[in-house]
Amino acid sequence: MEIKNVKKAVNKKPLGKKLWDSKTLIIMCLPAILFFIVFFYCPMPGAYIAFTNFNYKQGIFGSDFVGLDNFKFLLNSGSLWMLTRNTILYNLAFIVLGNVLQIIVAILLNEVKNNVFKKISQTIMFLPYFISAVLVGLLAFNILNYEFGFLTTIIQKLGGEPFSVYQTPKAWPVIIVLAQLWQQTGYGSIVYFAAICGIDQEMIEAAQVDGANVFAKIRYIILPSLKPTIIILFLFAIGGIMKGNFGLFYNLVGSSNATLWPYTDIVETYVYRTLMNNFNFPSASAVGLYQSLFGFVVVMFSNGIVRRIDKDYALF
Amino acid sequence: MKKLGKKILAAVLTATMTLSLAACGGSKQTSTDTNPSADSATNKTTNDGGLDTSKHVTVKFVVLGNRPTNGRLESMLKELNTVLTEKVNAELDLQYVEWADWQTQYNLLLASGDSSIDLITTATDWLDAWPNIKKGSFMPLTHDMIKTYAPNTYASVTSEEWEKCSYDGQIYLIPENHYTQYTNHGIFYRGDWAKEAGLSNINNFSDLGKYFQFVKDNKSNVIPWDVSGTAANGNALASGYVQSTTSNIVIDGVPIGLSSIYYGASKDDAYTVTSPYMEGTSFEDFAVLMKEWADAGYWREDVLNYDGDTRELFKAGASGADQHHTQTYVTDVRPNMDIKQPGSDTQMFSFSEPSKNLVKTSITHGCVAIGASSKNAERALMVYDLLRNDEECYRYINYGIEGSDYIINDSGELDRPDGWDQSIDALESNFWCGRNDELELPNARHYKGAADIYADYDTYAIDYPYGKFVFDNSKVSTQIAAMADVCANYIPRIAFGKVDDPKAMVAEFREKLKAAGYDEVLNEVQTQLNESK
Repeated sequence: MEIKNVKKAVNKKPLGKKLWDSKTLIIMCLPAILFFIVFFYCPMPGAYIAFTNFNYKQGIFGSDFVGLDNFKFLLNSGSLWMLTRNTILYNLAFIVLGNVLQIIVAILLNEVKNNVFKKISQTIMFLPYFISAVLVGLLAFNILNYEFGFLTTIIQKLGGEPFSVYQTPKAWPVIIVLAQLWQQTGYGSIVYFAAICGIDQEMIEAAQVDGANVFAKIRYIILPSLKPTIIILFLFAIGGIMKGNFGLFYNLVGSSNATLWPYTDIVETYVYRTLMNNFNFPSASAVGLYQSLFGFVVVMFSNGIVRRIDKDYALF
Repeated sequence: MKKLGKKILAAVLTATMTLSLAACGGSKQTSTDTNPSADSATNKTTNDGGLDTSKHVTVKFVVLGNRPTNGRLESMLKELNTVLTEKVNAELDLQYVEWADWQTQYNLLLASGDSSIDLITTATDWLDAWPNIKKGSFMPLTHDMIKTYAPNTYASVTSEEWEKCSYDGQIYLIPENHYTQYTNHGIFYRGDWAKEAGLSNINNFSDLGKYFQFVKDNKSNVIPWDVSGTAANGNALASGYVQSTTSNIVIDGVPIGLSSIYYGASKDDAYTVTSPYMEGTSFEDFAVLMKEWADAGYWREDVLNYDGDTRELFKAGASGADQHHTQTYVTDVRPNMDIKQPGSDTQMFSFSEPSKNLVKTSITHGCVAIGASSKNAERALMVYDLLRNDEECYRYINYGIEGSDYIINDSGELDRPDGWDQSIDALESNFWCGRNDELELPNARHYKGAADIYADYDTYAIDYPYGKFVFDNSKVSTQIAAMADVCANYIPRIAFGKVDDPKAMVAEFREKLKAAGYDEVLNEVQTQLNESK
């Protein structure tokens, strides 16, 4: 009761006073606020380009308004469903497999008692994160290509018949997911590792005194303690479910191997091609706008569900 | 109530954050009118007719190519800029559009509307000059302006030629109209290997196939044609086959993405629009043959993902062929192959040979345009006039510094100093929009047989029939966007035989193209072509 009254009192303070009281915090936030204003809010009116027949000379707002014509292009091309499906499925695979793997790695690292070994393995897992997607694409080509690839050579040495990976669309979801996991797991596990380190040691010690073995400790102490972190990271990830890792997809698949597109094309690569092959800004923007709106709906929806289940875990 | 407000605020913030993604890259184009009028430019001339060059300016010139790293360009520019400063108080700075994804990079650079760009290399056939003129990338020029600031150039272009460089009554391009070259494409192959294979002269696709098979069977560690399966290479091969088997003439300036698929029926029936990609059997035959070639391993299995420099591989003896145009053959590939692969006797199979279907290089194959928002348009014209017509400047920009980059031999020909290697020491200034036969030195290193090749072409080549045709795509831009998507999806795969059933693939390609609006665009091209007569 007491606390609630205090809270109310805080809320009742006038806005100006509130701002003044938190001036230090606001100043600390300022760079982030400016960043968002400059790079996210200022360019926003430009989304209007998706509704115009854009001409450089007339500019965005001078160009003729054509309503939803540019979205018609999207529907006519018939690829909207495929793009949406691919993007979402890839992201689901990244989110689910990625988080599971990250949690496992974090828990295993936590159980390792040898500090030197722990540091070395963490560093090795962390390294792929810093390799640029261009190099990843090149590495993949050198491993997978038919004539001189590492994989082909091994298969031949073992007496097998080499096959052309670049003509086998179905292999690509696996390759792309593996590449993504290879790059992101080390980095992602840091957050979980930090969360595990933050668990109250007294709880763990108490469990041990009660006779919990390692598995019981993980099952009943560590995993439940990680729940808020998992949910928050999951929600953040869901927000980006319509966003793809363009660099990885583009560099792995290449720009002209259309054989693979049914399984590898995501919204980003499609937008890129539309823009690059045709210099069609309005159509590309239309796809981008569709992507953003869809992403927005997904965020609101999933946040709503989490809020239903447990209010404390919702983002807002 | 307050809580609800917070919720709404949060929702709006999320919405805007996600929305703003759509706007990325779209906000640069806010200026609505960036063209300083041509009149105001002429007014700046001082009353006594002299030109005001009191302020030192840097003229930025966009050229195509990879920026050289051997330091020779910088040394040349230093010398050239001393001369330019003395003459017009200006200096030249080159901006390169690199070959990787050049079509894309070029158009994006122009789309950026960068106001520091003054001179731009462009072309109506291999670079999208007309679409860019319509998009407002170039500054309109008046006769007076060119006459005042580039008098020598103005005098060397006829009024008919100016007309071919104009749109809506205003001049946008300055043509390279005094330079002889053929830019028809074909396949370069090694004459010595062809002879070993029992082929005296390859002048059609079936002999080319035999040659590839011979290389495949007899030359270890050589890929018959180590090509990279990009959209540009796929389109070049497809259009080459079309040219060699039909009498259709490609209509420039109707880009369907990176492809050109609309053609005139023939030289006698030039104003009937058709498309060999849709009509006739040529494209289907092509698809079948390329599937055979791919299966036979004439190029890499992973050609569509392979990204290598075929020309350098050809020169190194690791590829049995290369594809480009006659000018490249005469000035680069043949002379350098003679040095690097002595006795290779490199030949060119021009795609025009089987059908005798050839259009001469148009004067707008190399043009210069002024950037739409250039601040130094007048000075840029003055610099261009010097580069094109002043012997000293001409030699600097085209050949480099006498003594280190080139020498003039006893018979007055351009030669290179000892030890000069084009792959390492080339100047690469790539001034492809104002070369001039009057100042051009005969090149001792160019292929001496060029004259015979030109004489052969001259027996059947015709003038480009659509010099005055400028396509306005505004009514069909949606259809073209959809068609571009289809072309990008199918043409590289068909061209490099990466399909299971070529005939079915062509049928599917045609169906998709039709669904995307092929007929509407065809009608629009036909209507506008009729009006341009």
